[in-house]
Amino acid sequence: MAIDSGTWINVGFYIYVSIAFAILAVGFNLQWGYTGLFNAGIAGFFLIGAYTAAFAITPPTPPSIGYPGHLGGFSLPLPVGAVLAMVASGAIAALVALPTVRLRADYLAIATLAFAEVLRIFAINLESITAGTIGIPGLPPPIEFNPPDAFLNATVKVAVSAALILVLLLVLYFMAESPWGRVLRAIREDEEATMALGKNTFQFKLQAFALGGALMGLAGWLFVITLNYIEPTGSSAATTLGFAPAVTFSVWVMVIVGGAGNLRGSVVGAFVIYGFQWLSVQLKDLAPTELKEGIPYLRLMIVGVLLIVLIIYRPEGILRERKRVLR
Amino acid sequence: MIFLAFLAGLAALFGISILQYTLAGFRLSSIVIVAAIGLTVIYGIRGFANFAYGDLMTLGAYVALFVNMNLALSLIWGAIVSFLALAFVGILLEVLVFARLEGRGPVPPIVASVGVGLIIQNGINWGGTTQQWIFRLPAIAEIPIVPGIGFHWIRDFGTFVVGIGFMLSVHILLTYTNLGKAMRATADNLELAKATGINTKRVTYAAWALSCSFASTAGILLGLIGVLSPTMGFNVLLLIFAAVIVGGIGSPYGAVLGGLVIGLSQEMSVPLLIWLERPDVLHLEHSTAYKVAIPFIVMIGVLIFRPWGIAGRPPAFARRVFFMERITKVLGRRGDAREQVRGEGGG
Amino acid sequence: MNQTVGHPILSVQDIHKAFGGISAVDGCSLSVAPQSVTGLIGPNGAGKSTLFNIIAGLYRPDDGGIWFNNTRIDGLPPYEIVHLGLSKTWQIPHELRNMTVLENLVLGAKENSGEHLLNLFIRPQEVRRDERRWRARGREVLRLTQLEGLANEHAKSLSGGQKKLLELARVLMTDPALVLLDEPVAGVNPTLAASLMDLIEKLRLEGRTFFLIEHDMNVVMNRCDRVIVMHQGRTIADGTPASVKANPVVIESYLGG
Repeated sequence: MAIDSGTWINVGFYIYVSIAFAILAVGFNLQWGYTGLFNAGIAGFFLIGAYTAAFAITPPTPPSIGYPGHLGGFSLPLPVGAVLAMVASGAIAALVALPTVRLRADYLAIATLAFAEVLRIFAINLESITAGTIGIPGLPPPIEFNPPDAFLNATVKVAVSAALILVLLLVLYFMAESPWGRVLRAIREDEEATMALGKNTFQFKLQAFALGGALMGLAGWLFVITLNYIEPTGSSAATTLGFAPAVTFSVWVMVIVGGAGNLRGSVVGAFVIYGFQWLSVQLKDLAPTELKEGIPYLRLMIVGVLLIVLIIYRPEGILRERKRVLR
Repeated sequence: MIFLAFLAGLAALFGISILQYTLAGFRLSSIVIVAAIGLTVIYGIRGFANFAYGDLMTLGAYVALFVNMNLALSLIWGAIVSFLALAFVGILLEVLVFARLEGRGPVPPIVASVGVGLIIQNGINWGGTTQQWIFRLPAIAEIPIVPGIGFHWIRDFGTFVVGIGFMLSVHILLTYTNLGKAMRATADNLELAKATGINTKRVTYAAWALSCSFASTAGILLGLIGVLSPTMGFNVLLLIFAAVIVGGIGSPYGAVLGGLVIGLSQEMSVPLLIWLERPDVLHLEHSTAYKVAIPFIVMIGVLIFRPWGIAGRPPAFARRVFFMERITKVLGRRGDAREQVRGEGGG
Repeated sequence: MNQTVGHPILSVQDIHKAFGGISAVDGCSLSVAPQSVTGLIGPNGAGKSTLFNIIAGLYRPDDGGIWFNNTRIDGLPPYEIVHLGLSKTWQIPHELRNMTVLENLVLGAKENSGEHLLNLFIRPQEVRRDERRWRARGREVLRLTQLEGLANEHAKSLSGGQKKLLELARVLMTDPALVLLDEPVAGVNPTLAASLMDLIEKLRLEGRTFFLIEHDMNVVMNRCDRVIVMHQGRTIADGTPASVKANPVVIESYLGG
């Protein structure tokens, strides 16, 4: 059965965006699900990775009338961009973590949210560096086809993202289920007890936070090479593709759904929650007219309801964290 | 008198135009103070940061707008209706959502409040009001004090009066009424308050009512100095948090101080930012847009060096943050890892 | 007052600690002899648990000094103190609830190469080896504390007495030279309590020192070499169980409070 090219492009979009979210979710799960660090600035690390990647991999676009220009334009190969994105996000995450991981969970949340918002303000206003709300053009997809072929393009993107998430899951699973990961979970359970057992909990928290941040940066890279555009989003909460707080909140839902400490669950959560949002766009035309305009808002309202209901009734997640039986 | 001297000193140093920013700063401070008092009350009694607070402010402003526009009543009526409506909303939130999260630590209520905020904000968005509105006010011309600085009766004076009025009423409430004393006791130590026979449930409802009605007033004031938009409250949420943290969580007096610090620091940074925009300095484009970042820097500083804020006491069983020692620890040598320890009964 | 023979393993000198104006420990000094089972008793509010927390590094004293094996430890973070060989149990068990019993124990390992992230990638063999070793040791300790069958149960499903045993088991995993036990047998049935104290005696003969807070006078009188009494934040008596029991100052402190 031949798949209609348009449908495939659409579905492919759903797949690789879900995977980008999945990487965000896995990163957040490492920070919160495993270590108990409640990061409300996910969008900020996402942004750092995306812009770093954009600076690295695009060809230069000099400033001109109506275009403020942007930093970088080094046209580096994509994998290098990925590494740079991870390094940048991870390093900044480590810096942010230094003063904040000692704080109570709510202080950490407020501080990280403030961090992400300040970053967004910078991204919007530092136009000579980030090209502001116009965005950086010329973001290359993984393979440029000549003549341009959207169908093949979508396929390549799906393949790259799928390969990436599989490799990541393997590596992270190995790390998270190791003795190192066990200390993280212990910190989440009871940090004082863990300290009294002889663990330097500060270092572990720093590592978990930085690693999570690096993953979020990687998600930013993936986002940028698959969507091929970048801009910081002016409105502060309405969209979920961008760097607004709504992205952070969506990732929270994904991880809560998938279960804290359950990496596969985070991936499932990402596909489910983004799937719901993607579907709402697809079905938009089927909706009665009065409803149609409200769909993006209704979507987020449902995210809100989900957050409330889940946190009251199923905070450990819908997919349970399984018991680690040691042989 | 010190205050006027301070203003005069500023004017002498930087030229009279600086007073324009000082005025803006005090105006913002008034709004932030009212909002921060509301936020800190719930923070103290329920123990969590209400991330829906900004959206509650927006809701308050829009309810007033509705009364103002659709019912063609003056804004004062709008404010009263909004005040009462939001008080009711607050109690509803406690009953439906937050009472179920008691004892679960600081994170679950934050998550739930984010959910509530999303619902409110997008509900307003959906209600077809994505355009920007302004309140219908009697037209009053600005009173020029000096060239370039205007004093608008409602916008400026009204904001101050309301702000001071609310501060005073909170003070009276907390110091002289039984309810107020009960609220202070509950915020201080929930178990002890219950043990001494205080009806903490009633106190909690009162706190929610107060918190949300203050939010509504703050939202209306915010709408007065600018336009109404569905994200207006959320945009200032972090400012309010900053004020509460700087002032000390749970302390309304701290909220006043924090609000002053935040409001003034944001607005009075504008001349500095404008200076930075000059090509011979930093050539920072759109520099005034960064003014919102200044309060955050203050907040981060407070979080690092004095997390319990101006008016807070370092709690006895404190999670103490020693930033410098953190650095040395990361670099390998010993650091301080004093952690909060739950009281272990009699020694 | 008995003098400790030889050099004390733990020396507390003039420790002060106040919380918000209320003095919890007020000029307390004491010492613990190596390879002893020393008891710490006193009425409620005397400052015993607070002192233990200070020794273990969870609080920093306002004044005074603490020496462990001639190393000054006040001001050190808890994890360093554990590495030096001093560990503490919790009065109210702090079991890691959503982790299994064996996981709880294995976390006590002081040197587990797998806990360092880099080692996972550059020294995988060593990581595997250490894990095997520590799991085996964990099972051994489970046998010692009679918790064998529970290795893969979630810690939260244990009974109160079992949680107390878990506390002890976990602290033993850190291979401590000195163990601070905060009410090790409170709420534990007498048979279990007896076997626990037998275990402690056995471990003492292997070279470890035990310093315990207890309210159960049977345990204190029958099992401790020496007893130190605290009242209102300082030491008021120090000697054999018999001498302390007969000490009029001690009796008055319990009655007068």
